[in-house]
Amino acid sequence: MDKKMTPLSKLFLLVIFFILYAPIFFLVIFSFNSGETMYDFKGFSLEWYRELFQDTRLLIIVLNTVVVALLSALISTIIGVLGALAIHQAKKRQTKNTLLSLNNILIVSPDVIIGASFLILFTMAGIKLGFYSVLLSHIAFSIPIVVLMVLPKLMEMSPTLIDAARDLGASRWNVLTKVIIPFIIPGIFAGFFMALTYSFDDFAVTFFVTGNGFSTLSVEIYSLARRGISLNINALSALLFLFTMLLVVIYYFITQRNKVNGMGVRKH
Amino acid sequence: MWIQMENKLTKNLYLFPYLLWIALFVIAPILLVLYYSFFDIEGNLSLINYQKFFTPVYLKMTFSSFWYAFLITAISLLIAYPTAYLLTKTKHKQLWLLLIIVPSWINLLLKAYAFIGIFGTYGAANSFLNLMGIGSQQILFTDFSFIFVSVYIFIPFMILPIFNSLNELNPTLLDAANDLGASKWTTFRRVIFPLTIDGVKSGCQVVFIPALSLFMLTRLIAGNRVITLGTSIEQHFLVTQDWGMGSTIAVFLIIIMVVIMVVTNTRKRGV
Amino acid sequence: MNSTIIQFTQVTKQYDNDPPVLNDVSFKIERGKFYTLLGPSGCGKTTILRLIAGFTEASKGEVLFNGKKINHVPANKRQVNTVFQDYALFPHLNVYENVAFGLRIKKMKNAEVDRKVKEALSFVNLKGYETREIREMSGGQRQRVAIARAIVNEPEVILLDEPLSALDLKLRTEMQYELRELQRRLGITFIFVTHDQEEALAMSDEIFVINKGKIQQSGTPIDIYDEPINRFVADFIGESNIVTGRMIEDYKVEFVGKEFECVDQGLNPNEPVDIVIRPEDLEITALERGKLQVRVDSQLFRGVHYEICGYDKDGNEWLVHSTKKATVGDEIGLYFDSEAIHVMRHGETEEEFDRRLEAYSDVDTNGK
Repeated sequence: MDKKMTPLSKLFLLVIFFILYAPIFFLVIFSFNSGETMYDFKGFSLEWYRELFQDTRLLIIVLNTVVVALLSALISTIIGVLGALAIHQAKKRQTKNTLLSLNNILIVSPDVIIGASFLILFTMAGIKLGFYSVLLSHIAFSIPIVVLMVLPKLMEMSPTLIDAARDLGASRWNVLTKVIIPFIIPGIFAGFFMALTYSFDDFAVTFFVTGNGFSTLSVEIYSLARRGISLNINALSALLFLFTMLLVVIYYFITQRNKVNGMGVRKH
Repeated sequence: MWIQMENKLTKNLYLFPYLLWIALFVIAPILLVLYYSFFDIEGNLSLINYQKFFTPVYLKMTFSSFWYAFLITAISLLIAYPTAYLLTKTKHKQLWLLLIIVPSWINLLLKAYAFIGIFGTYGAANSFLNLMGIGSQQILFTDFSFIFVSVYIFIPFMILPIFNSLNELNPTLLDAANDLGASKWTTFRRVIFPLTIDGVKSGCQVVFIPALSLFMLTRLIAGNRVITLGTSIEQHFLVTQDWGMGSTIAVFLIIIMVVIMVVTNTRKRGV
Repeated sequence: MNSTIIQFTQVTKQYDNDPPVLNDVSFKIERGKFYTLLGPSGCGKTTILRLIAGFTEASKGEVLFNGKKINHVPANKRQVNTVFQDYALFPHLNVYENVAFGLRIKKMKNAEVDRKVKEALSFVNLKGYETREIREMSGGQRQRVAIARAIVNEPEVILLDEPLSALDLKLRTEMQYELRELQRRLGITFIFVTHDQEEALAMSDEIFVINKGKIQQSGTPIDIYDEPINRFVADFIGESNIVTGRMIEDYKVEFVGKEFECVDQGLNPNEPVDIVIRPEDLEITALERGKLQVRVDSQLFRGVHYEICGYDKDGNEWLVHSTKKATVGDEIGLYFDSEAIHVMRHGETEEEFDRRLEAYSDVDTNGK
């Protein structure tokens, strides 16, 4: 392959990157607007940020979102790791494939279907819509992604490693804690972070299963955006953008430190 | 092997949470959707929803939903393939790829919201058009804005698998094709594209299925002008409270999804 | 003290309805010897190892360790340790912790662990490598770590599953010496699995030649090389010329249309047999002085000798290892002693074979 890029290629990439990032920076820049619109930059001000931090309702929603994300990521990581172990140790090929297909259903399913079907599920089960229904849904749709992040690490592990541990006298519990978990820990971290971002990003499922005044950021932004432009959303998005970048950097360093090939998103 | 010979009960105890999850959150919801699709709005058992689905109103909606999803997928692919290809040729390609992916980690709603500002009557896009001497246009709440924003949102998901398959391509294969006298175009057509077809397929999968079912974009950007299968499901569940009809559409969406999965028939990559 | 440490009695291993991987195998392993299980891939040699280690259970038969049945004892409760083909070193632990793994499982005191690990590492010449990460070690060094990790637990038996196959030729030869030396110093039983016959011949006290789930022949390297029991063993151990023949009467055998004197007796008259003559037992001589006449087809220089390949008039291929050079296209004579002819009966069991060989040596001693 010739490594040189023509100026046209460079321009093409430049345009792509510009289009990808322009709207985001556009949002961030206007969060500092002293005016009230997203087209007329009147002057620099931190007014919208101050308003944001005085909005207790919004702060509670942020807290809700964080609590749901952390709890759901934690629980789905535990269950997901158990699931990956289950799939990994299934002896029959067919069992393995069936489990894997079932696992992937929620990943390929459109959010609307997940949301609608969970809504039916919670209604039938008599679970009140609100914090618990949202938390349960987030756990449910994060589990398969954890499995997919952990499973390749398990596959990568040579089966003789487990034989070797057994051979050296390790009990089943020893094997799990001293060999398997340390080996797959990068996958577990990656899974946890993916679950975290899935939870933060989710709008559609939460929109379906929330109720009784419980709300997450995504749902709140949606209802605000339906009402039109309001620059405190810009301020909020600037902060969220910062937060996302922070997550990306943490994730990047974790995968780098653990010597996961490339950047970790590529190879699960 | 490591589970050998230990107590059967403890051996299987750890499977319990995961299997419970499969039963409760994977299998049960699908069955419930199927079950509900056989009830009309009054809660009577009937096939009326299926009859309704085959009336022109719903068929037209399904067709237009397909058409939009197709357009979004095709345009994404046309932009994503050259982008992915050029990315593999950059020096710090993993870093550039990361930069492509970062926007996909930013909340979907915020991106949609940004476009409300950009495409608004006095927004950045119209200022640009004025500057060019074209004059203000109605951009928001048009097909164009819907497709543009959808492509914007989905493009990283299309680039990622294509980039991966291009990146895994053995460069000596290109040398070999070159050596055997293939022109650049022939090399692309006969070697590169066939070898990266799996990436293209999984890219199309991760774009097409969500494109059929997105509903907040149609509301925020297309101003209810575009109704997709997803919008329709949301409408029935949350607005008109006709869960039966909503479930019926969901059943069809699931069937379509399965068909697409079988047709593209590649292993699913989580993004 | 009973010298038998491991005993297999009629052990069969079968997965589902596939043909058995191991078919009704019985043998005894004695304390303090170096054993090699030799055979082509898929012959069942690794299965034997896994049965001893406890990674898999026998479908039928008994596995005895120190006279006790251990069929259902899990791997972590057995007093054997394995050196794996890919070494199976834990990538998240350094050299020291890899070796200490088994001791830590036993909850041994730190001071004790330290002493033993250091001793084991110096045993395999890896003193000073304690804090190295596994990925910083070369293939040969990893090999040693794997051995140290096995011996530190002071097992009665060490199992080695093709541990040298990943090393280059020079290192492999070096490790062969080292392993043999190590086994002598430790004085414990080594069971070594390989498909490399030279390795087996060089290292072992006893070799089990295995094929198709059965032990074909067992014995010292010299026994097996000199007196292969059948075509498979003859062919697998060293290079051989194998032709079919007929036993005319005691000490007289016929092959390639001629009669030859031999040292075998006690077979039925006119019994069809296989004849083996090793290439190094064939000597190039003048055409008329040769017992066989062949036309030289090709010749390769192998360093120590020439490897000459020729065909007799019946089209049988004859391989000759000779320090003398031949000319391609020439017809040459081949001479051999009567002892060089090894007669193999069809379908002879190991017991019958051993009895027959014993009978010869009786005759020899009586005769002299």
